[in-house]
Amino acid sequence: FLFHKWNLLCVVTMCRAVPINDLIYRASQQSDKLHALSTMLTQELGSEVFPIDRVHACHTSSLQTPTDKEQALQVSESDLLSLARSLLQAWSDPLVVLSSSTNVLPYSAQSTLSKTIQKMQEHSKDLKDGLDILSSKMGPAAQTITSLPFIETNEIGQDKITKLLSCFRRDSHKIDSFLKVLRCRAANMQPQMC
Amino acid sequence: MACARMVKHLGLPLLLLLLALAAECNSMSPPEKPDKLGCRSPDKETFFCWWTPGSDGGLPTVHHLYYKTEGQENMRQCPDYHKAGSNSCFFSKTSIWVEYTVIVEASNALGNTSSDPLTFDLMNIVKPFAPENVTVVVNIEDSPHLTIQWHTPSNIDTKSGWVTLKNQLRVKPDKSKIWKNYASETQTHFTIYSIDLGVVYMVEVRCAIDNSWSEWSNTTFVKVPNFSRKDNSFWIMVFSLCLIPLLVAMIILILKRKTVKKYILPPVPSPKIRGVDVQLLKSGQSEDVINAMLLNQRFPVMIPWKDQKEDYLIVSDKETSYLPLEKKKIFILPLAMTLDSEVQSKETSEVDHFPKDSESSSEESSDKTESSQLLTKCSSANVLNDEKANQLKGVTEKIFQPFGISGYVDIPRHEHMQEADYSRVNEVNGDNILIMKKENVPHTLDTQGQEGSVPDNYSMVKEVNSDNMVFLEKHSESVNASFKAKGYIDWVNQKPKNLHMTGHSEMGVCPQLVGCEYVDTVPPPAVI
Repeated sequence: FLFHKWNLLCVVTMCRAVPINDLIYRASQQSDKLHALSTMLTQELGSEVFPIDRVHACHTSSLQTPTDKEQALQVSESDLLSLARSLLQAWSDPLVVLSSSTNVLPYSAQSTLSKTIQKMQEHSKDLKDGLDILSSKMGPAAQTITSLPFIETNEIGQDKITKLLSCFRRDSHKIDSFLKVLRCRAANMQPQMC
Repeated sequence: MACARMVKHLGLPLLLLLLALAAECNSMSPPEKPDKLGCRSPDKETFFCWWTPGSDGGLPTVHHLYYKTEGQENMRQCPDYHKAGSNSCFFSKTSIWVEYTVIVEASNALGNTSSDPLTFDLMNIVKPFAPENVTVVVNIEDSPHLTIQWHTPSNIDTKSGWVTLKNQLRVKPDKSKIWKNYASETQTHFTIYSIDLGVVYMVEVRCAIDNSWSEWSNTTFVKVPNFSRKDNSFWIMVFSLCLIPLLVAMIILILKRKTVKKYILPPVPSPKIRGVDVQLLKSGQSEDVINAMLLNQRFPVMIPWKDQKEDYLIVSDKETSYLPLEKKKIFILPLAMTLDSEVQSKETSEVDHFPKDSESSSEESSDKTESSQLLTKCSSANVLNDEKANQLKGVTEKIFQPFGISGYVDIPRHEHMQEADYSRVNEVNGDNILIMKKENVPHTLDTQGQEGSVPDNYSMVKEVNSDNMVFLEKHSESVNASFKAKGYIDWVNQKPKNLHMTGHSEMGVCPQLVGCEYVDTVPPPAVI
C-alpha cells in the first residue's frame, strides 16, 4: 500500500524521507486545488453575488505582497514561503465562520457553498502541514508568520460573505502563485516542473 | 421639399429653425456610449481591453480609454490603441492583485459619452489563447493509437514559474455526440490507445493558466484505416508455413506407423523354450507337445567321476605361510581359474564334459549363491550336482561344476603327514590361528632334544604372526609356569634362525616333522 504524508513516503513497508522538491511540488498542487475550488465557487454562485468593487477591504490587505511579475520574481524563497504561510494562517478562522454562515444565502446556493467550504478547509489544513515541514527545512526566515487577525466571530450577513469569498479568491491565488514560483526555482535541473 | 418652402415663408426665425431641422434631418449628435467592454490577459503579464462603439452621431468620433488602479486618484489614458487592433487598448505594464477601473469615452464635436466602468483584477481576466499547431498521427502497428502533439501559445513565459500551464484534450468519433476528455499536465503531447478501426475522429486541445481555460483549438479530423493489409497477409503466410511441415510429419507417421510402433514400443522378449512351439501349445494337442519337448531336448551325459579331468597344483613352500587354512585358500583359487577356462571353452566341451556355467542370468545368480555355499562346505558336492542336473532339465547350457571334485592340491612330500597333521587340528580360525587339540602329540611332532612341553601346547599360542612371531597367552593356570615360559622363550628366540634354516634346507632340518611346512614356528632342535 502507499502511504504518502508530508515528510514520509511509504510504499508497503519501506519509508523514506520526501525530498524538498517533491514537498514543494506537492504543496503547489494543493494550493492549485484550493484556488480552483474558490474560483469554481465564485463562478457557480454568479457574478451578481460578488461585486468586485468591494474587494480592497480584505483583512489581509495589510500584508505587503508583490504587485507584479518582476517584483514577485525578486522575492527570496524564504520570504515567498513566509508570505504563503501567513496568508494561509489568516484564513483558518474565517473559513470556520463561513461554514457556519451559509444559511444566510439563498437556498439553492447553500449546499454548494457548505460542501465547497468544507473541502477548502481540508485542503487548507493539509497545505498548512506541508508548508510547516517545508519551512523547517528552509531556515529561520521562512519560519516567520505575520499575524493577520480576523475580527468577526459571529455569523455574518450575505454581503460580508460575498466579500469574504472574493478576498479568499485573491489570497488563494497569491498563495498559489508564490508556491509555483518557488517550485520552479527549486527545480533548476528539471524544466518540466515549471 | 417641405423644408425649402418653410424657409421661403419665414425669414430669420426660420433660419434658426432651419438649422435645427437640418440637424435633425442629418442626425448629428454626440456619440453614443461605447458598449460591451472587455479585457483579457493571455499571459498573466499584459492585457488588452476592447469595446464596441455606439453610433457616432454623424460626426467624426474619437474614443478614449481611461483607467485607474485602486489607490489612484486620477484616470490615465490608454498607452497603446493600436497593438490590439481597432477599438482596443493594450497594456504592457500591469499590476496584479489590484483593482483596475476602465472607462471608454466617445467624443465628437457635439459631446462626449462615457461607457459604464469596468472593474477587474488581473487575476480575474487571465485567459490564455488556444494551443497552436495541433497534429494528430494515426498508428496501427502493434495496437492502434493516436499520437497528438501541440504547441503552447506564443509569448507565454513558463520558464520563470510565474505561469504554469495545464493541458486538456478531448476526442470523439465524428458521428458521436459525446466527447472524451483527457488531462495532460504540462506535457504538450499525448497518446490515446482506445480507438476503433475505420472511424473518423475529432480532436481538440485547450490549455489553462491558474485554472482559467482557453478556448478549444480548431478541430483536427483524422481517419483510422480499416485494417492492415500487410499484417493480415503476413500472418497468413506464417500460419501456412507452420502448417505444411506439420502435415508432412503426420503423413510420414501414418505411412510408417508400423516402424514407429516398433521404435516406440519395442517387443518384450518372452521366454522361449527351444523346440517348443507356442502355437502348438496353444492348439492344445498334447501328444505333439510332449513329442516335441522330448525329442528336442538333450540331456547332459553323466560321466563317472574317474574320467574327470584332474588338475594339479604345485604349492610353493618358500616364503608364503604354510597354515592349512591358506592351503584351503589355495584350493579355492585354482578352482575359480579352472572354472573360468572351462566357461570360455564351453562350446567345445558340450557333451563330453560336464556342462559348464549356465548362461541365463537368473540361473547364474542362483548358481553363484550355491557356489559360495559349496566353497564353505566343500562336501557332498556330488549330490548337489545331480540335483542341479535335475533342476535344469532340458537346458543345454553348461551345468555348474562343483569345486571339490575336479581338482585338489597334491603336495608331494608330506602327504601322509598332512593327514596326521589335520587330525590334530581342533579348529581353524579366520586368519592365521591354528588351534591344536590338547592331547599327547605323537613323537613325530616332538622336536629332538627339547622339552616336550614346548611344542606340545599349542593351546598357549595366542596369535601367530606372519613373520614367525608367536604371541603366547597369559596362562595363569599353568603348572610349570616358569618352566614353560623358559621353554617358550627359548623357543621364540630361536625362531628366526630356524626359519631361515628351514627355508633353505627343508629336508635336512625337518625330516620327519609334520609341522615344518605348515607351522612356521617350530624350530628344529638340531640347530641348537
